Amino acid sequence: MDQTRIIRSNTFRWALAVAGVFAVFVIVLFGFIYWQADQYLIARSDKMIASQLNAVSGLPNERRLDWINEHLEQDSRGVQYAGLFGADGRKIAGNLERFPPELTMNDSVQSVSVERTLPAGRETHAIRAIARHMPNGDALVIGREVDETREISHVVAQALALGLLPALCLCLLAGAWLSMRAQKRVEEVNQRVQRIIAGDLRERLPHRDIDEPFSKLTVIVNGMLDEMETMIHALAGVGNDIAHDLRTPLTRARLALERGRTNATTLHQLETVVDKAIANIDQSLAIITALLRLAEIENSRRSAAFGTVLLHEMLQEVCDIYEPIAENKSIELRVEARHRLSVLGDRDLLFEAVANLVDNAIKFTPEGGRVDIELTRGDNETIVRVSDTGCGISEQEREAVLRRFYRSDKIRNTPGVGLGLNLVAAIVKLHGFRLAIHPGPGGRMEITCPDR
Amino acid sequence: MTKVLLIEDDSETAEEITAELVDRGFEVEWSASGIDGLDKARSSQPDAMIVDRLLPGMDGLTVIEALRKDQVRTPVLVLSALGAVDDRVRGLRMGGDDYLTKPFALVELVARIEALLRRPVESRETTLRVGSLELDLIERTARRGERAIDLLPREFRLLEYMMQRSDQLLTRAMLLEEVWNYKFVPATNLVDVHMGRLRHKVDGPGESPMIHNVRGAGFILRTGP
Repeated sequence: MDQTRIIRSNTFRWALAVAGVFAVFVIVLFGFIYWQADQYLIARSDKMIASQLNAVSGLPNERRLDWINEHLEQDSRGVQYAGLFGADGRKIAGNLERFPPELTMNDSVQSVSVERTLPAGRETHAIRAIARHMPNGDALVIGREVDETREISHVVAQALALGLLPALCLCLLAGAWLSMRAQKRVEEVNQRVQRIIAGDLRERLPHRDIDEPFSKLTVIVNGMLDEMETMIHALAGVGNDIAHDLRTPLTRARLALERGRTNATTLHQLETVVDKAIANIDQSLAIITALLRLAEIENSRRSAAFGTVLLHEMLQEVCDIYEPIAENKSIELRVEARHRLSVLGDRDLLFEAVANLVDNAIKFTPEGGRVDIELTRGDNETIVRVSDTGCGISEQEREAVLRRFYRSDKIRNTPGVGLGLNLVAAIVKLHGFRLAIHPGPGGRMEITCPDR
Repeated sequence: MTKVLLIEDDSETAEEITAELVDRGFEVEWSASGIDGLDKARSSQPDAMIVDRLLPGMDGLTVIEALRKDQVRTPVLVLSALGAVDDRVRGLRMGGDDYLTKPFALVELVARIEALLRRPVESRETTLRVGSLELDLIERTARRGERAIDLLPREFRLLEYMMQRSDQLLTRAMLLEEVWNYKFVPATNLVDVHMGRLRHKVDGPGESPMIHNVRGAGFILRTGP
């Protein structure tokens, strides 16, 4: 993997940003610690020199000189300052050459810079000092250089260098590693997806059995791929069914035409053959039309064109249209709609669904039977029930009837395309309703429309 | 002679349609593309047009929309291989034009063209008459000569539709769409059953039949044999 890609990757940038924020935070923290320690040390040193001043002021004049000399001699680190100046500014004792000009004698500790005489020469030092007039008119100065501050800043800088730099490097390394790992996984997924796109439907994304988002995602995607594979196989099965159902009438048409062409001797014979061929071709076309219609309904979304459908009126209309057909078969067709119920939907499609159910019911009910269309209320739902006294649908056949082109063996010879119930199911699904097929004896189909 | 403009890019289909229409006594002009068709529609002023929906150059519905913008009201029959009836097609139907899905039977095409050319006259007459058959639209009664015919509401609607279009071939699909407002082809032959009932009532024993079944095509209401 090339370096620019790692550096440009999102993960790496994030790591970089986090490292930056971390560094700023650490620097601020160390600065704060330094500042706090500094303040504390200065305050402590201030208190010390103030108490020393108090102590020295209380001493008699000769003892004061002794104290100063003793005090300075004991100072091995060379941080103590003291000076006794006469009223005329002349130095009486101590290690200060002259009275610090910026120092005011108001008993408060101040920062001043002083010159100190050392064997090597004079040096300027910034110190904390306090001064007071003695009872005899002399001026006493006591000071201290808070050199611990310098040491602390040194330590802090060292800690920073030792802690921060490795931490930053670690951050960047971790960032680069994470970025590389993520890219590697994406690359792997990409390769597999390419294989899936190329047609290998059995390929799945790599999946590790750990609880992390990426693994969860691959599990979800793999689940989706499983579902799609099943669907594609089902589709292929449907394709075979379609081919079979289309080929049968087309074969018949072809055979009729072929035989007619060689054998027909009169125009009438030829006409018979052609009529037969046309009927078979029409059957194929009816299948195609039904399939397209099914696809159209299955692919359409719940449309904004949905309106209030007055079910009782609609059912009456279906009954009206099918009554003569039922009568021809001596079947009693009745609507029982005691309530005026309505649902939200596409009237034409719902009409088609119910008409299909009624059509089926009449088709599969023997002469002298009954077909009932009922409109009732259930628990927060409106139910349209079409029941008949026909053979019904057995438990085993219940799922099969919703398969495309399924035709029960019992009714092999009844004309039809075999897609009617598919259409009903698709329409019902589009509306968010439920289609229930109840087992025999007698057919009983229900469209359940839950209230909104 | 009635002139029909056919805009269809498939020459074989166009030939069959032209031959059939010429046999039926129409004069047919053929155009193979949308743009050329639009020019011909403007210049030769046909009485009716048959337009394929998918055309090279310009889509069939666009041709019609362009004509309508020019206030050309020629009735149009749109042919389409697309089964789905969308909003544009719905608009077309409301404008009095018609739509036929490919593949279609030639009789169906001719019947629809004739229906487009002979739109029922908007009459203020409250009684429809065809021969001895009379339909009172106010009283909702029917009689044939002296004989009163007792009709159910759905039969009345069917007879009214047929009497407004007497001597005209009405296909099953047309009747389904117009009389029963069916948007799909039912599995059972609904039309034949309803027509059988109506014929039973209209054509009494001993009377000359008025409702004729044209084999493989549809039905005609007429006085002659």
